[in-house]
Amino acid sequence: MNIKKSILVRVRIAFLLVFLFAAGIAYRIFNLQFIEGSKWREVAANTSLQYRTIEATRGNIYSDNGSLLATSLPFYRVCMDPTIADEEVFKQSIDSLSIRLSRFFGDKTPTEYKQRITNARKAKRQYLILNRVQIGYQDKKVMENWPLFREGRYQGGVIFEKVEKRFKPFSTLAHRTIGYINENDYGVGLEYSFNEQLKGRNGEILSQKMAGGNWKPVFNESDVRPVEGSDIVTTIDVNLQDVAESALLRHLQYHSADRGCVVVMEVETGYIKAISNLSRNSDGYYSETYNFAVGQQGLRDPGSTFKLATMIALLEDTNLKPTDTIDTGDGSYKFYKETVRDHKPGGYGKITLEEAFVVSSNIAVAKLVDQHFNLQPERFMQYIRNMGLTEPLGFQLKGEGVPKFPPINKWSGITLPWMSHGYGFEITPLQTLSLYNAVANGGKMMQPILVSAVKKADKVVQNYPPVVLNEEICSKETLKEVQQMLEGVVERGTAQNIRDSHYAIAGKTGTAQTLRNGRYVREYYTSFAGYFPADKPKYSAIVVIDNPKGYNQYGSDVAAPVFKEIADKVYATDLQMHAPYHLSDSVEPGVFPLVQAGYQPDLSEIIGELGINQGVAPAEDWVKATVDSNQIEWTPKKLSMESVPDVRGMTLKDALYLLENKGLRVQYSGSGRVERQSQAPGMKALKGSTIKLDLGY
Amino acid sequence: MKRLNNFTIRVDWLLVILYAVLVILGWLNIYASVYDAGLGLSIFNMELNSGKQLMWIGITMVVILLIFLLDLNFFTTFSYIFYGITFLMLIGVLFMPEVNGAKAWFQIGAVKIQPAEFAKFTTALVVAKYMNDYNIKFTSLKDYAVVFGIILLPMAVIMLQPDAGTFLVFCSFFIAFYREGMNPTIIVLGLIAIAIFVLTLLINQLYLIIGTVVCGLLIIGIAARTLKKALTVVAGMGLIVGVIYSVDLIINNVLMPHQQKRIQVLINPNIDPLGDGWNVTQSKIAIGSGGLFGKGFLEGTQTKFDFVPEQSTDFIFCTIGEEHGWLGSLLLIVLFMVLLLRIIYVAERQKYRLARIYGYCVAGILFFHFMINVGMTIGLFPVIGIPLPFFSYGGSSLLSFTILLFIFIKLDAHRMQILTRG
Repeated sequence: MNIKKSILVRVRIAFLLVFLFAAGIAYRIFNLQFIEGSKWREVAANTSLQYRTIEATRGNIYSDNGSLLATSLPFYRVCMDPTIADEEVFKQSIDSLSIRLSRFFGDKTPTEYKQRITNARKAKRQYLILNRVQIGYQDKKVMENWPLFREGRYQGGVIFEKVEKRFKPFSTLAHRTIGYINENDYGVGLEYSFNEQLKGRNGEILSQKMAGGNWKPVFNESDVRPVEGSDIVTTIDVNLQDVAESALLRHLQYHSADRGCVVVMEVETGYIKAISNLSRNSDGYYSETYNFAVGQQGLRDPGSTFKLATMIALLEDTNLKPTDTIDTGDGSYKFYKETVRDHKPGGYGKITLEEAFVVSSNIAVAKLVDQHFNLQPERFMQYIRNMGLTEPLGFQLKGEGVPKFPPINKWSGITLPWMSHGYGFEITPLQTLSLYNAVANGGKMMQPILVSAVKKADKVVQNYPPVVLNEEICSKETLKEVQQMLEGVVERGTAQNIRDSHYAIAGKTGTAQTLRNGRYVREYYTSFAGYFPADKPKYSAIVVIDNPKGYNQYGSDVAAPVFKEIADKVYATDLQMHAPYHLSDSVEPGVFPLVQAGYQPDLSEIIGELGINQGVAPAEDWVKATVDSNQIEWTPKKLSMESVPDVRGMTLKDALYLLENKGLRVQYSGSGRVERQSQAPGMKALKGSTIKLDLGY
Repeated sequence: MKRLNNFTIRVDWLLVILYAVLVILGWLNIYASVYDAGLGLSIFNMELNSGKQLMWIGITMVVILLIFLLDLNFFTTFSYIFYGITFLMLIGVLFMPEVNGAKAWFQIGAVKIQPAEFAKFTTALVVAKYMNDYNIKFTSLKDYAVVFGIILLPMAVIMLQPDAGTFLVFCSFFIAFYREGMNPTIIVLGLIAIAIFVLTLLINQLYLIIGTVVCGLLIIGIAARTLKKALTVVAGMGLIVGVIYSVDLIINNVLMPHQQKRIQVLINPNIDPLGDGWNVTQSKIAIGSGGLFGKGFLEGTQTKFDFVPEQSTDFIFCTIGEEHGWLGSLLLIVLFMVLLLRIIYVAERQKYRLARIYGYCVAGILFFHFMINVGMTIGLFPVIGIPLPFFSYGGSSLLSFTILLFIFIKLDAHRMQILTRG
């Protein structure tokens, strides 16, 4: 009985133990979750973990030859935690720090800086932005040595907050085309259009909040590494861009025009080599605020430059010859109630078709188009469509303007004649240019291209090769005829003023009246589109200058000179446009080039290249050359460690190298080769002494 | 056929169901603890611990079937051999390379086997068999010596690995011993030693000694009238003072630095919240932020960031606390409690002494695991890495707990047979 009872007690104790313990745990968890719950939730929030973004570095934008057009650079904002520094250090440093801050930023007096920092320290504010101006890396380096700042982040309290900033090495060059992007991924230009490629992908890292609001990364497998943005290579030629932009600016200023744009295109590829858009702001300065050459707002009645398209349609559809004549009458011609006028008072009378184009007779094209296409307007539009003028070009920049042509069922009797000389519809300058480029390119219409490749480091991610939009916009015959007409415009027509005796330009002027509130007002939209050199076109370009003021308001006077200026610069610098210069094949005997003295391997190579006999090369590198009958002999120049070398007969480059290596200071006068040296050869070379060289020959 | 029917009827299905529920809940929680919304891998994915656990669950099914099919006497007859094999394995494992600071695993291909896990049930079997066969009732010193020897042998080797968790689990055999007649004084003395040990950590040694002496004198003055009693009390006092003095020695020489830290952290979690206190603090944050209903399955944020090492193994209880709140935790506790009480109940209905002793061993082992594991996640015990039975991820532990439990279920199912045979 006793044993049985004892065992029963023991079993009960076992039951009780389990039960008590379970109850204990339940209570403890209850305690954790309800009574201490808020405390633990707070702890969780404070030591909370968060995925924090690591920003990917944005890709660069390059010019056609690899110059940087836009890149991301680190900049810093100077902040501090004024509560960190020890009282003693703080007192010691605050005055000199304030003086330096004031001197650097120049916006507040030292006293003001001192007061701000001291007040923040007293108020125990742990974060103070000293100045919102972002400083560069070099400035940051200097600042790190300032009093208090040199104590570092954890003793001095200085915080340099890194900000990535977009930097354009060429400043405002192609400003609008390169564009920008804001935090909401909205912007303009290449930065916006190629944002996907440029921005890369931000990474994420699991971080834990530490005391003082800093974040410490917690290493974790699910971290996402940032993917750096890709670089984009544009077709922009920095030199051409500079030429185009400055020429445009000068002429805009001269004419006080509202705005203007230039686009230069490589004929064969459609690559845009320069694109500039300048418009005048209220202060009278010009800046790039909108891409008129491409964008929706750049849509305009093109005016006479469109006559090229009309002429192509006429020549293609009829058996008219450029030599056929047309009566343009007395300079005014009525279609219904509206009158078309020619520029020349009294009219051009009876002229050939080619002449009509060259002098830009509105009446001629209007009459011919009206006669020919009046009953079949769709046929005319078919030609225009075939030349790619009715649809956007699929340009790489976002926001390309969509051409506006009135639908044929809305046409009136005057739509066609007006359209023939560039009124009553809207296209962008870029579209006009691609037509002219097609004519220059033997009828092959190219898509304008601004970005040739997307690269990641040196690896090409995507190429944008030239794209042919239309293999043949017209027959070879027609092409030849219109090319001749375009040359005629510069040769003897409206753009004679830009004629050049060295190379031929082909192109067409345009002067369109501006449509304002449905009425054409006395404001002009002048343009010149063309290509050069006319015989072997390399570049095509369009220049538009909107609303020039003053006496000269015609395309020929306003826009064409800009074209000429650009063409001249390109022609002068582009070696490919010039016929190779032929050297005579053999060197005349007995005539030797001027070889005096220098570095033997270099001289020997030159002499060898020129096909002149030379003697045996000596062991020494530095030689003097003498002519012996029909060959050049090398005499070694004795150079010893301590003595002044003989540099007579050498070029300044060689002389400087030798003399400065001996520790001598060189002064020189004149130009050419060394004639005399003030310290005689073989003298002991005194380090730091001055040697004077007279250059001559 | 009839025999099989009898057998299936006699299986204690409540235990089997409880087991199945725990294993399935464990599996879901393992998935929750390794789940990463970003990756969205399925629970069956073999790269995740949940996928691997499913494989182990499959293996245990086969093992359960084997246990049911094998003859009952297989386990009892060969129990000494099993004990011997596991003991040799425990020694053998000491020559294996260290993993996580302990030589506890045999690496066979991709599978890691921890012999200490299996030592639990082989030791339990031997204890039960020996005490049954020799009718041990703890009446002589020899009884104590042999029985304690059976458990101390593996404990000593395990301590060499070192594996403090399993070492402590072996103390659970005292519950079975107690049931079978062991003098409770041993347990009381043990508990007093632990209490003093903890007190020395909390209170200055000198005060503690003064307190002991004062208490002793009071007891002598009030209760111990005879010299013999007084001397006993004095001897007890001397022993306690000895323990107090030995605490420093134990802490500094026996316990490893990380174990010392863990005990200190238990007493004051704020001494190193980002270092040694980190696990427990984060575990408490996870459980504490769960609230009444929890954040929902796979919705836990604290447990997702992998800041608690051994999230799917030793700290699996956090996941339940955070995602299923107090109610979820309570459900788990109730499940375990019912399981343990049922084992004790089933053990008590055995007529065959071996089965009863074995049942108590099973209950004790499971109870210790549960107590220490849950206790450490909520800051009641120092952090000792032992798994939550059936719940934690890990093949060895799942397999050994399953074998442990199902041998008992098998014994129970045959209780009528044994009675007739006996």
